[in-house]
Amino acid sequence: MSSAIPAYDSSVDAPVHHHPVYDYDSGPPVERGKFAIWLFLGTEIMFFAGLIGTYIVLRSGSASWPNPQERLAVDITAFNTFVLITSSWMMVKSLFAAAKGDQGGMVRWLLATILGGSFFVGIQVYEYLELFKHGALPNVDIFWSTFYAMTGFHGLHVIVGVIWLICALVSAMRGKFTPNNYLGLELAGLYWHFVDLVWVLLFTIVYLF
Amino acid sequence: MSEGKHFNPEKIFFWLFLFTALEVLWGYAFGVWFHPGRVVLWGGLIMFAVVKAVMIAQYFMHFKFEGWIIKALIVPTPFLVAYILVMISPDVSRNDLLIEPIGSMYDDEDGVVKEDMADLSHSIEHASGEGGGH
Repeated sequence: MSSAIPAYDSSVDAPVHHHPVYDYDSGPPVERGKFAIWLFLGTEIMFFAGLIGTYIVLRSGSASWPNPQERLAVDITAFNTFVLITSSWMMVKSLFAAAKGDQGGMVRWLLATILGGSFFVGIQVYEYLELFKHGALPNVDIFWSTFYAMTGFHGLHVIVGVIWLICALVSAMRGKFTPNNYLGLELAGLYWHFVDLVWVLLFTIVYLF
Repeated sequence: MSEGKHFNPEKIFFWLFLFTALEVLWGYAFGVWFHPGRVVLWGGLIMFAVVKAVMIAQYFMHFKFEGWIIKALIVPTPFLVAYILVMISPDVSRNDLLIEPIGSMYDDEDGVVKEDMADLSHSIEHASGEGGGH
């Protein structure tokens, strides 16, 4: 019986070029930058979960635990929480302005977000200095060591966030973000909102519990 | 980039603001002024904090509008967090087997280990006297 099988074409299985071109995108079905930042935020969630989990174990296992509201300035920190939430809202406004092509609005709201974040850091530094003056150092007892560990690491995240937002502001002022491409601003915003989200939980656990 | 992400940021901001104010009020009301028990205090605080965190993630971080791959990345994390807490909980439940309970501090002046922080002679007031702060 005569065969209808065509002659073997080696180029089908082994193309001569070493960079095969597919007719589909082999990456994740989302912008790579966004995928990366969410992956990073996932690791950050686990990092803070470790800190908070350790705090819960130490607090539950301690023979005694002072009332945080008698040791900490809750009113000032509550105000600081409002500041951070407000800065998060201003970040959203900046993104909305970027989506509309409102260059001036994007820059103004981003600047306001940076000022809010800087104010938060300033208040936290002031709080630390006042506590130090009262002798509340990390080595005094386990309350203070856990307090400084959690709020300190969060404070570092806020500082990194502010630096990132400043970099985004420079890019915005140079006109690098357009209504069709403002992913860099969106990634900075995601990180900033995450910092806000973590603070909402830390404020409750550290200051109010 | 923001296609389909239609929500009113002022509305979300208002609720976050209101819940934070209520949370602080709840903390003072049931932590300082009245003492109905930890379940009431902690239950309310956890509720406020979780609702606010979910609102920030869902709307400000656009998680609600993301595709399946981002959700697949993040949704398992609360379960992993719960797993961590469950796995480290024996450290609390077996605290009585430790030579000194968690949180015990060696008191330099008395030369003994004290379990209650309030008994430490190396207290905040004491340290401030040495530091000359207040």
